[in-house]
Amino acid sequence: MTAQTANQERLLQVILSPVVSEKSTYVADKNEQVIFRVAKDASKPEIKAAVELLFKVQVESVQVSNVKGKKKRFGAHLGRRRHWKKAYICLKPGQEINFAAGEA
Amino acid sequence: MQSNLETLSSLERRLSIAVSMQEVNTEVANRLKRLSRTVKIHGFRPGKVPVKIVEQQYGGQVRQEVLGDTIQKSFGDAVREQNLRVAGLPKIEVQSGDEKTEQFEYTATFEIYPEVELGDFSALSIEKPVVEVGDAEIDKTIEVLRKQRAVFEPVQRAAAAGDQVKMDYRGTIDGEAFDGGTAEGSTVQLGESRLLPDFENNVIGLSAGESKTFTMAFPEDYHGKEVAGKEAQFEVTVHQVLEPRLPEVDSEFAKTLGVGDGDLDKMRSEIRANLEREVKRRTIANVKDQVMKGLLDSTSVELPQALVEQEAERLAEQMKQDLQARGLDAGNVPLPTEAFDEEAKRRVRLGLIVSAVVDKHGLSAKPEQVKEVVEEQAKAYEQPDEVRRWYYQSPDRLREIESVVLESNLVEWVTGQAKTEDKPTAFDDLMGNAQ
Repeated sequence: MTAQTANQERLLQVILSPVVSEKSTYVADKNEQVIFRVAKDASKPEIKAAVELLFKVQVESVQVSNVKGKKKRFGAHLGRRRHWKKAYICLKPGQEINFAAGEA
Repeated sequence: MQSNLETLSSLERRLSIAVSMQEVNTEVANRLKRLSRTVKIHGFRPGKVPVKIVEQQYGGQVRQEVLGDTIQKSFGDAVREQNLRVAGLPKIEVQSGDEKTEQFEYTATFEIYPEVELGDFSALSIEKPVVEVGDAEIDKTIEVLRKQRAVFEPVQRAAAAGDQVKMDYRGTIDGEAFDGGTAEGSTVQLGESRLLPDFENNVIGLSAGESKTFTMAFPEDYHGKEVAGKEAQFEVTVHQVLEPRLPEVDSEFAKTLGVGDGDLDKMRSEIRANLEREVKRRTIANVKDQVMKGLLDSTSVELPQALVEQEAERLAEQMKQDLQARGLDAGNVPLPTEAFDEEAKRRVRLGLIVSAVVDKHGLSAKPEQVKEVVEEQAKAYEQPDEVRRWYYQSPDRLREIESVVLESNLVEWVTGQAKTEDKPTAFDDLMGNAQ
């Protein structure tokens, strides 16, 4: 399945939320990257297509990483928070994501 | 900062004030920076939040704050610069307050304190009631006291006005008894119009043990609606006729009045002192009323609406508390502030005039005057030191004294200016009208 053929409905479900953290603001300044939390089963081409669709920008590259959920203990029971996928989106030079407009 | 004053009406003013937006922006930036050191935002360690993120979160709020402060400060400055005395609260309207504009502009509409044109007080004439407390007044007082202490004793003779009568009566209208028409063993004082005159006249002349049947008509305007205007038959049986016995003016009597050794001269002089104190108090009150009225009449002031409204609201609030104190549910009583308009206007006007007079002629309460009054109050107590301390402990209490002193200063000054006549007044007139 390539990004071109993926149907739009799927693309709208790929991106979950922006990640706002110290690290995300740091990389945004340094590498002009934006970080999103994405669906666990999303692929790089899907993410690229989704960002281009939602925010009307051009994406240079996408890097992903799987984040393990934290281990938490409740009494005697060991539990685990959900794993999730993080995507670093590098935009083409001169592009910017306007969050306020994009989510409309 | 630029300001521009417009005169809307004799009291209304509008200030248009412009502040450079740069000042506002730098202040906002400063505050955000300070904020970024303390705020906690999810995803950042405390103190590591970039200013940009802080601005996103708190920018608007901080901006409002800064604008509010700026308005307060610049308004205060402008008012001082233009030498205005603002009455009540200004109405602020922001004209342009965008980040991008160069100027932050707003207008403030408010009222100023009016210039009080003091009238000519020398044209005022004040009548100071002068009352002699003579033997006649003392005798009269003693008479009243004796009546209050009268003892009633049964006598064998026909009842007359001034006697008490113990009797049964039964009243019927067309053979039917009616409400309140029947009683047994009721004791009534005759000759003080406690009963209907017709009834009383019929009772007078009866001796103990006698009875009488008579008809009488209730007056048309009698308070009992059912019987008003009707003819009733009464059967009255008198059990006792009691004659008042006034106590003799002797040492016993003096003792009951609290003169320990029962000395009659001492009693008289004490009564005289009491009367004189009362007369003095009423005289002062009377003169004060006249002075205040004179001030109101001789001076015209235009009243700032804002002050009147404030005062009216305060009065309404007071009324509400009064009602609550008396155990009424004030929450449900509608108290339109308009109802207090008249009183509020009078008070505001008087307040303005008084403060104008006081300012102009330096009549404010001086510390030594205050001290004097406190001393006087203290003297009346067993531990004067305590009282003195009590007054000086709290500024509120002192202020009360100050206002008393101020009032008397004012009265004194005005009476000094105005034509003051001594007017011999009958004792009863003074006592009656000052109540």
